[in-house]
Amino acid sequence: MLKINGISTFYGKVQALNNVSLEVNEEEIVSIIGANGAGKSSLMRSIMGIVHPQRGTISFKGEDITRTKTNNIVQKGIVYVPEGREVFTDLTVEENLEMGAFSKKFTVHKLHALFEEMYATFPRLKERRHQPAGTLSGGEQQMLAIARGMMSEPELIMFDEPSLGLAPVIVDEMFDVISSINQKKKIPVILVEQNAFAALNISSRCYVLENGVVMTSGNSRELAESPEIKKAYLGG
Amino acid sequence: MNATLKKHGGLVYLPLLIAAIFLPKFVNNYYITMSCLALIYMIVAFGLNFITGMTGQMNLGTAGIFCLGAYTSALLTTRTGCSPWLAMIAVIAMGVLIGFGLGYPSLRLKGVYLSLTTIAFGEIVRQLANNMTNFTGGAQGVRNIPVYNLFGFELNTKVRLYYFLLACTVLFGFISYRIIKSKWGRVFMAVRDNIDAVDACGISSAQIKILAFTLAAVFGCIAGGLYAHYSGYINPSSFTLGLSVNFVVMVMVGGSGTLMGPILGAVIVSMLPEFLRFLGNYYQITFYTIVLLCTIFVPGGICNLRIFHRDSLRRPSGN
Repeated sequence: MLKINGISTFYGKVQALNNVSLEVNEEEIVSIIGANGAGKSSLMRSIMGIVHPQRGTISFKGEDITRTKTNNIVQKGIVYVPEGREVFTDLTVEENLEMGAFSKKFTVHKLHALFEEMYATFPRLKERRHQPAGTLSGGEQQMLAIARGMMSEPELIMFDEPSLGLAPVIVDEMFDVISSINQKKKIPVILVEQNAFAALNISSRCYVLENGVVMTSGNSRELAESPEIKKAYLGG
Repeated sequence: MNATLKKHGGLVYLPLLIAAIFLPKFVNNYYITMSCLALIYMIVAFGLNFITGMTGQMNLGTAGIFCLGAYTSALLTTRTGCSPWLAMIAVIAMGVLIGFGLGYPSLRLKGVYLSLTTIAFGEIVRQLANNMTNFTGGAQGVRNIPVYNLFGFELNTKVRLYYFLLACTVLFGFISYRIIKSKWGRVFMAVRDNIDAVDACGISSAQIKILAFTLAAVFGCIAGGLYAHYSGYINPSSFTLGLSVNFVVMVMVGGSGTLMGPILGAVIVSMLPEFLRFLGNYYQITFYTIVLLCTIFVPGGICNLRIFHRDSLRRPSGN
């Protein structure tokens, strides 16, 4: 569904990605793990068109999107839930959700149906629907960011470090939500994580990035067993 | 629930409107003149609220926008003899032109660079008006600008002008209120709040900024046109950077993102210095001290004080 073919991305003269190739198929969860500065976020930003790669191509559903603008990429059905809970703190929870649907021409009826769907998945958001998003806890804000991403009915959703800075019990809840989105909506998910253990656990395939290069990739269960991965990312 | 909120929201403006309607009965001509100016500035502030208040893009070139609106209408009516109403269409077109023409290149800039561009724009406009003597009349300005004519009813007294401007302000206030409460209003505030997340939602933040800026330019130009026909005489020295700063003060002191904010801001900024005149040489310094204190102690603007709570930005929470 998403095919990345040998992209290299630069910020000025600094190279962030070098010849990275990646593929995401229908209905699968693909995780991308790696240390700080490995290029995980740069990869996400390249897919979303926030930075454009200098070499290589990205295609989505057979269509080339290497040079497409961010807002058009979202309209094509790729949604990115950025790291660090980028919610609109001054807007209410419900207004935040509305912003997620901005790019689609939904009827009011459809919009409310989507609200209800999100509130069913995240009951806490319903309680706080008229509260400014800035007053939510970290975990709730992350839930809101995910729900907002789901509001445009994406065909592919990407999560950038959803567990960052959250309490362990919330982290578990977060991963449950991510796998349930994948199963219920039947859409592929790209999950970027530093928490390699959790990421390998819920994904079917995994790519390991290091210094802007794909070191290894393959079946998540096999990777979790491999000695190098264990040593470098799973603490033994 | 939504309907009751709307009713309550509108109710706050009713006493203000009644007070405004009966004002000419109680005050002398001088204060009516001041009130007319306050009403014109209010329309500018409604517009500036979109770009600076809600979208958070500092615009210090509003005097330039206001100036272009005033000159467009003044020159068209005095040179070609066309009706001020017809000139209004040209004024609106000028607003759209400024919105796209200046907005497209400059809104890619951020923070202090954007402020500098807008200052430069305002000054360029003023210098052009000053120096293109053959076309604009230079420092002499434009004289004998005709008044508005409502179906044969000349708006030639201060009181008539006052009611006409009041009607205009109510109209633009209503339009502004509808925009604030619409999808546009929310996305404007979203840009101020978190611009990266706006892009992540599939919204082009550049387009939204241009939209907000164009609205500001159209409101500013229309107010400029009204100003030209209200005062009958314009010259470049009225459209200084100081005026631009005053517009920003109106929005910020009044309270951005609301309708009440620019209303209160425009009234305070245009009226308060008059009431402080008894302080003699100290009135300006007192005025700006009040502005300073407001920004420190009421950063959300005066309209967020408790008495105006119903109109505040946030709806009351659901429970």
